Amino acid sequence: MAKQTHEIRDPVHVFVRLSTAERKVLDSKPLQRLRHIHQLATTFLVYPGATHKRFEHSLGVMELATQVYDVITRQDRLREDVRSILQIGEHFDMEYWRRVLRMAALCHDIGHLPFSHAAEKDLLPDGVNHEHFTCEMIVDNDMAPLWDDLHVKAEHVAKLAVGPKDLPETSFTDWETILAEVITGDAFGVDRMDYLLRDSLHTGVAYGRFDHHRLIDTLSILPVKQDGSVEPKLGVEIGGIHGAEALLLARYFMFTQIYFHPVRRIYDIHLMDFLKQWLKNGRFPAKANKLTEFTDNEIMTGILKASRSDKIKGHSYARRIADRRHFKLLYERNPEDIKKNPNATEAIFEKAVEKFGHENVRLDIIPAKRKGYDFPVLTKDDRIVSSTMVSEMLSRIPPADVGYVFIEPGQLDNARKWLDGSREFIISTPGEENE
Amino acid sequence: MKRLQRDSVLISLIEALRDRGSWCGETHMQKISYFLQELLEVPLSFNFILYKHGPYSFDLSDTLAQMEADFLIRPVPKSPYGPTITIEPTGKRFREKFPKTNRKYKGAVDFVAKKLAEKNVAELERIATAMYVTLNENSIVDVSNRAEKIHHLKPHLSLDQAIEAVKEFDQIKFEAQRIQN
Repeated sequence: MAKQTHEIRDPVHVFVRLSTAERKVLDSKPLQRLRHIHQLATTFLVYPGATHKRFEHSLGVMELATQVYDVITRQDRLREDVRSILQIGEHFDMEYWRRVLRMAALCHDIGHLPFSHAAEKDLLPDGVNHEHFTCEMIVDNDMAPLWDDLHVKAEHVAKLAVGPKDLPETSFTDWETILAEVITGDAFGVDRMDYLLRDSLHTGVAYGRFDHHRLIDTLSILPVKQDGSVEPKLGVEIGGIHGAEALLLARYFMFTQIYFHPVRRIYDIHLMDFLKQWLKNGRFPAKANKLTEFTDNEIMTGILKASRSDKIKGHSYARRIADRRHFKLLYERNPEDIKKNPNATEAIFEKAVEKFGHENVRLDIIPAKRKGYDFPVLTKDDRIVSSTMVSEMLSRIPPADVGYVFIEPGQLDNARKWLDGSREFIISTPGEENE
Repeated sequence: MKRLQRDSVLISLIEALRDRGSWCGETHMQKISYFLQELLEVPLSFNFILYKHGPYSFDLSDTLAQMEADFLIRPVPKSPYGPTITIEPTGKRFREKFPKTNRKYKGAVDFVAKKLAEKNVAELERIATAMYVTLNENSIVDVSNRAEKIHHLKPHLSLDQAIEAVKEFDQIKFEAQRIQN
């Protein structure tokens, strides 16, 4: 008899199991392409262990999404006052949504460009991002027989994979919103849970670890009542609050230590500079079926070839990456300067460009994102309260953001002296005349 | 409007709402900023979608996080509903640097604060959804038809609540047009 369940070894979750029909999705071209896309872009140039790929992360997200779904839909966990949101009918039972969620989790990253987020900015047409490609690939005709085998609707898989933020024209029911939050949510999204655990393991940095077993076991759909408005949200029983705190701290530390590491960031910028010269028309194709021809392998081969020949477009940027001749950090956003001028980084960048020339200076700004620290908590006496009422530290975790100015290595000493003498003047009071 | 000017307008809005007794949590900011942008035509450039409880902007949420990172505002935990947004001393000093911007949009900020600051989350949700339907469903003009659409989109709102919300929005819209003219 043919095997019905297939096990895959995983360094984070030990085993990830799939049915035969699910394995066909895993074996499809869009999923297999993820074997060749680094999870952390150029981070391996700083943390050598960070060579893991989107493929195993996708399996991990599917595994965690399943664990969360099984907990929050357990009969003893489903509260009477949230059962009305369950989208259960003749065709869509709880098993149906479990299959949809697993496949959405597995496919949530299939639209990624080579080198993940590093190459996304400026290399796609306005309004197009990897979520756009993810949707396009999920609803593609090639995938249709696989969804038929699983008895799931491609549209449902796409909705949960991408979520309401990146599908603004599509309406989501409360149930679909909750399930999408299981994957991409700010507080308890399993995409984040998996990447923190996995990136921590592979980089060798312990900051990303937290007790995800305990946290997941305490998750629950809770009705948040405020002035007569009732909103079902993914929350946590009080016993999981420290797990939630650890998750949100892990996120803060991993962003500041790994994802926003200045050397990793400048390699991403050099990669983007290279691609703008090396790619045809300076951009990736805007069609999903063309995009799938590109993985990190083609790009890395291009970088190595271009680094050896000044006849190839992108030669100088390729050398910066291949020969580790990256720009150096000249200025980093800091509280003292930001309190004087929130645009201090941009102001220093503009003056540095005037002084040292555009080709010798680079700016890196990543704005802060929503923190996800305000979620419902079920107390022991059956009250539902804001997490900020039971945790002293959650609202004190600072938002993580980036503001760097980089300079060509040969200009570094001069640039530092120049900045020492002119910093206060440059960042002095902003006002309408500077805007 | 550039980033710092927009921050200045949002600080003015927070101050106006708090002065009128608003809880001033993120939900209040979401719904009232929607009015400020779409009805009073203050060019904040946020993208609003119809989310679980009415119009919602992920961009605005990120902007509030960035304003916190810039030491302009601070969410303070407060019982029973959770964080209320307060203005930091740095934020107050920052706002003073944008007198022209503040003057230009003062009428609009004061108007939405006067009309909406005292409303609770449920009331804001209803009236902001009424506005969303009115602005985005151009073919539906009649009060009862718009109310039915709201009830369809948000079944937890009764038809009577939806009718009341549409009527109240129409009145606010009428008054907003008068101050704009």
